[in-house]
Amino acid sequence: MSWRPVKAVVGREMSKLFRQRARLISAMVRPMIWLLVIGSGVGSMLQSQQQEGYLTFLVPGILAMTLLFASLLSALTLVYDKEFGVMRMMMIAPIAHYWIVLSKLIAATLTAMVQALLLLFLFVLLGLISIKIALSLLPAAVLTAICCASIGGLIAVYSKSIDNFAVIMNFFIFPLFFLSGALYPVSQLPEFLRYIVLVNPFSYGVDLLKHAVPNVATDFSIWTDIAVLVVFSTSAILIACWQFSRESVHAPLFHRLGNK
Amino acid sequence: MITSINTPLAIKTHGLCKQYGQSFAVNQLNLEIEAGQFYGLLGPNGAGKTTTIHMLTTMTVATSGEAWIAGQNIEEDPVATRGIVGLVFQDSALDRTMSIDENLQFAAALYNLTPMQANKRIDELLAVFGLQDQRNKKLLALSGGQRRAVDIARGVLHKPKVLFLDEPTIGLDLPNRRAIWRFVDRLRREEGMTIFLTTHYLEEAAACDHVDFIQQGLLQKGGTPTALVQQLAETILEIDTEQPQIIADQLSPLFGEPIQEDQQLSFKITASDVDFSALQKTLGDSVSAMQWRRPNLNDVYLWRFCAPDSTVEKQ
Repeated sequence: MSWRPVKAVVGREMSKLFRQRARLISAMVRPMIWLLVIGSGVGSMLQSQQQEGYLTFLVPGILAMTLLFASLLSALTLVYDKEFGVMRMMMIAPIAHYWIVLSKLIAATLTAMVQALLLLFLFVLLGLISIKIALSLLPAAVLTAICCASIGGLIAVYSKSIDNFAVIMNFFIFPLFFLSGALYPVSQLPEFLRYIVLVNPFSYGVDLLKHAVPNVATDFSIWTDIAVLVVFSTSAILIACWQFSRESVHAPLFHRLGNK
Repeated sequence: MITSINTPLAIKTHGLCKQYGQSFAVNQLNLEIEAGQFYGLLGPNGAGKTTTIHMLTTMTVATSGEAWIAGQNIEEDPVATRGIVGLVFQDSALDRTMSIDENLQFAAALYNLTPMQANKRIDELLAVFGLQDQRNKKLLALSGGQRRAVDIARGVLHKPKVLFLDEPTIGLDLPNRRAIWRFVDRLRREEGMTIFLTTHYLEEAAACDHVDFIQQGLLQKGGTPTALVQQLAETILEIDTEQPQIIADQLSPLFGEPIQEDQQLSFKITASDVDFSALQKTLGDSVSAMQWRRPNLNDVYLWRFCAPDSTVEKQ
């Protein structure tokens, strides 16, 4: 197995990322709005000495949000490619089909990391965090990005078309985000919601990111976070590769096209 | 069962089946296609043509049976099989937001061609298709015929041993269809690849070395287009009339039952000594138009798939 096909798939996603500047800029604007609006809005309800603390608390959460959106949406291009036919170009190539999934997930992780780097740069510019903290957030960000990409890959291989995009937003992205401890400490949630947070793999990414920022309360130990992220991502990627390699995934696609 | 890999066959299948639920898309397909042949598989929509191509190119897995491409068992090593086949899909497999060059470079990398090999090959192919000056154009800016040409170029980047063309000219106008065929012909001559074609435009299949038919998943053996046409009939007689039933009853004892399409009757006539002018006089005003001509592959197809009933075949 040569790396050239993998590089080609990853390269295609990267060139799309940098070509669509508006998408890149909006990916930076969204977390800033969250940070400034939610940060100062919710912060204003807190006592003055807690206000700055809440902004710092939000930094890992907002970074995690950026990783989640970027990584998951990028992994979902698997469905776009299926819909617009480019998937056929990859499937007829002499590579094992699971490499298509793996390449897409590598691309999704890289896409998310490009956006994370830009965001961290903005955070440092705004004086929210030091360069040292920004650097220590990076390894945690990589693990979180992989975790989000594998969630996206899992959703993508089980989706038939992009029509259910809104469904994916409402049933996956928002719950994953809101029930993760990104915006508030898990310990303060009602008990039934806390259980949901516990089974949400993304929570452990958020928590790992919190570990990198001093004075931010965390809910789990670093090792729990890493273990959950690694085990979850590995299993999700394996299932996605297995499901994608089964012909039933593409049979409806070809069948539909064949009967047009 | 013969499983020798020393045979020069480009494609060989043995009892190949594809089942969706209870129905067979392809049923017990046995094919032997020699290397360098231009092979055509013809049949109505949904007959199993595309499914056959998808099985042979490992895009879908056969329910049962075996197949070899150039001696390579496709189930044993699908990846290696994909390395020696080219497939031009019915619908474009290109990224419309990218340029010709980006699309072909991407496809070439998927085939593990080095950038240098890819550039050389892309130059070569775009010259064949007359697209060398459009290399950096976006796919969206191309005509349907040009896009199809790029699709075919993509299918042969890696010099496959067998090229599968699934309705390659569908939706194209006549000049573009002819252009596509000139390219395919040139590729065949220059690279000697075996071509497996499905098409609805039967005049295009007339150039094939061999055609077979498929209906409801079952293969019906054909032959060379010339032989098939000769075997069908000496002459095809077409009559336009407002009283098709009366004319049909009148002429059936002579020529066998016709194919009736609205007010047109079509008879196949095997005798070579029919006096059509006399017949025209006999029928007189009851027909509005009448013509007799040599049969072609369209007639072969029509008589196979739209024949009045099996009694005709017995005559």
